[in-house]
Amino acid sequence: MRSLTAWRMVRHDRASTAGALLGVVSIVFLVGQQLSVLFGLLNYMSVLVDHSGADAWVTSADPRNVDAANLVPGRIVDRVRGLREVEWAEPVLVGSGLFRTPDGSFESVRVVGTRRPRLAGGPWSYAQADEGALLDLDAVTLDRLDLPKLGRPALGSGTEIGDRRVRIGAITDGARGFQGTLVFASIDKVAEIAKTPPGRYSYVLVKLREGTDHATALARLRLLLPEYSVFDGPELARRTRAYYFANTGIGGSFGFSTVIAVLIGAVIISLTMYTAVLGRARDFAVLRAIGGRKRDVAVVVVAEALIIAGIGIFIGFVMLAALLNATGGSAIPSFFPSRVAPILGAVTLAVSLLGSLVALRVALRAEPASVFH
Amino acid sequence: MATLTLEAIARDFSDGRQMRRVLFPTDLVFTPGELTVLAGPSGSGKTTLLSIMGLVLRPSEGRMRLDGQDVTALPDEAAAALRLSRYGFVFQQPMLIEGLSVLENVRLAFSVQGARTPAGFRKQAEELLASLGLAGTGHMQPRLLSGGMKQRASIARALIKEPSVLLCDEPTSALDAESGQTVLEILKRIALEGERVVVVVSHDARVFPYADRLVKLENGRVVSDTREGSPAVQETVA
Ligand SMILES: Nc1ncnc2c1ncn2[C@@H]1O[C@H](COP(=O)(O)OP(=O)(O)OP(=O)(O)O)[C@@H](O)[C@H]1O
Ligand SMILES: [Mg+2]
Repeated sequence: MRSLTAWRMVRHDRASTAGALLGVVSIVFLVGQQLSVLFGLLNYMSVLVDHSGADAWVTSADPRNVDAANLVPGRIVDRVRGLREVEWAEPVLVGSGLFRTPDGSFESVRVVGTRRPRLAGGPWSYAQADEGALLDLDAVTLDRLDLPKLGRPALGSGTEIGDRRVRIGAITDGARGFQGTLVFASIDKVAEIAKTPPGRYSYVLVKLREGTDHATALARLRLLLPEYSVFDGPELARRTRAYYFANTGIGGSFGFSTVIAVLIGAVIISLTMYTAVLGRARDFAVLRAIGGRKRDVAVVVVAEALIIAGIGIFIGFVMLAALLNATGGSAIPSFFPSRVAPILGAVTLAVSLLGSLVALRVALRAEPASVFH
Repeated sequence: MATLTLEAIARDFSDGRQMRRVLFPTDLVFTPGELTVLAGPSGSGKTTLLSIMGLVLRPSEGRMRLDGQDVTALPDEAAAALRLSRYGFVFQQPMLIEGLSVLENVRLAFSVQGARTPAGFRKQAEELLASLGLAGTGHMQPRLLSGGMKQRASIARALIKEPSVLLCDEPTSALDAESGQTVLEILKRIALEGERVVVVVSHDARVFPYADRLVKLENGRVVSDTREGSPAVQETVA
C-alpha cells in the first residue's frame, strides 16, 4: 500500500513528475550520448590495431601510441619468421600525403601500406569492390564516409596522393581513424608517397600459430628483439587510447560535460521532488497521524524516487537507442558498448536517489500534530 | 471498550521569547459509549488537549493512561503503533490523499505501515461507505466529492479499523448545516453502538444537543463539565 500510495502520488502530481522525469531522462540521454561519442572516438584511435587480426605488434622502442612509432628495419620480419611459434609476419608502412580531389583541391590523408597478397593490417570491410582491387600496385581505398570530404571521386577514377598516381580501387566501410582520413594502398606505393627509405616499415604484424601460448610467444619475441617493443593488440590499443585520451583534452572535456549533465539532472530531480513533497506535506502528516512511522513516510518518498527513476531510465534508453540508430552508420562517431548500459542505469538510479534526499528530509519533518491546524 | 484517563495534563508552548502555559493541569476521564463535546472559545486549548489525547503531542506535565497503560511519553514508533491500532481521527478538513481513490484512502488506515489489507476488507469498506451515504463512491477521486461527502469518507477512514478512541477536531465547521447534522448523527451512533470513546471538539453551539457530555475550556482550563440530564454537575476524577 505504501508503494501504491507512491505510485498514485507520482501519477497524480503530473507537473512535478514530468519535471523529475526530465531530470532522469537528461542524465541517461546526455551522458549516454557523450559516452557514445567518446567510445566512437576511442574506436577511431585504435581502429587499425583492433582490426588487424594480428596477435603481436613489433614497433620501435616504447612508442607513445600506435601513430607515433618510428620506422623499423625490414630485416626484423625475417628474424621474427624464424621463430617456430610464428605463423606469419608482415610489415605495414604508414605515411601521410595530400590527396588531390576531383575539383583540384587537396585533402591530407594517412596512407596505410600493406603487403600483397596477405594485406595484413589492411581493410576489413568493403562497401564497394573488394581486397582483390588492392593487388594492383596503383590501387588505393577510400572510406564510404570520407567520400564527400574527398570530393566524391568515382570508383576506378585516377588521382594523385603526394604527387604519385593512384587509382580508387575499392571503397571501405568503417575504416575511420582518429588522426585523419585512412587510405589503404600497397606498401610500395606508400613508400613512394611518404618518401621513406627503402626497407623500412612502421610496424611488423605477427600472427602466432594456433595452439601457442601467447604470453610465452610474446616473451620470446621480446627476448629476440630487445631494442624494439612487442605488444599484443589490446595492449597497444589501450596505450594508444590512453595517450589520446589524456593528451588531446578529450578526457577532460568529456568528463566535464558528463559531470555537468549529471549535476543538472540531479538538481532538476532534487528541486522538482522537493516541491512535490512540499505540496504533499499535509498528506505526509496525515500518514503519520493515522499511524504511519517515519520510516513509512520514507518508504513512500523513496518509492516515488524509484518509480520516477525507473520510468526515466527507460525513456532515456529508448531515446538513446533511437539516437544511436540514427547516427550508427553516419560520420558522427558513435558506439555504445552494451556493458556500459547497466552502469549508466545504476549511476542514474543512484543520482536520482541522491536527488530525492532533500525531499525525503522535508517529508520526514511532517509533524502528525500539524493535521489539527 | 477503552478508557482514556488524563491526570493533571498540562502543556506549555514557547511563544518565541518565553514559555506560555496553554493548558493548565487537567483531570478528565473518558469512558466508552459517550459522545463528549469539547467546547470553548478560540485559543482556549481544545486542539492542544485533543492532540495530547491523540498521541501526536506530548504533554509538558501529567500522566495519561489508555486502559491503564501509561501512554504519556511513548517513543515515536510505539505512539504510531497505538494510533494505528486503537485510534481514529477526523480533522477539520477531510485530509483525504489526492490521487488515491476513496476506497484506497480508507485502506490506508490499515496498511500505512505496509501490512496486508485484511481479507474481506473490500466488502466491509463498501458497507461502511454505504452506511455513511457514500455507496458507489469507492472508486472515485476525492476531488470529485462534495465537502460533506469528503468528510464522511474521512470518517470511514477513521472507523474502518473500529478504533477504541475516535477524536474529531471541528468535523462540521467546513460543512453546511445539513451535512454537519448528518456527520454528528453518525458520530453519535458510533459512540453508542460501538462502545467507543468519541470526543468532538467544536465551538459551534449547534453541536451541543448531540453531546452526552459537554466539557468547556477557557484559557486552558476546564470551566464546566456536564452530562446530559444532570446539568452543571462538575465532574471529578476518581
Ligand atoms: N505549536 C504551537 N506553538 C506555540 N503555540 C501554540 C502551538 N499550538 C497552539 N499554540 C497556542 O496554544 C493556544 C491554544 O491553541 P489551540 O489550538 O489548542 O486552541 P483552540 O481552542 O483549538 O482554538 P481554535 O478554536 O481557534 O481552534 C493558542 O494560544 C495557540 O497560540
Ligand atoms: Mg483548534
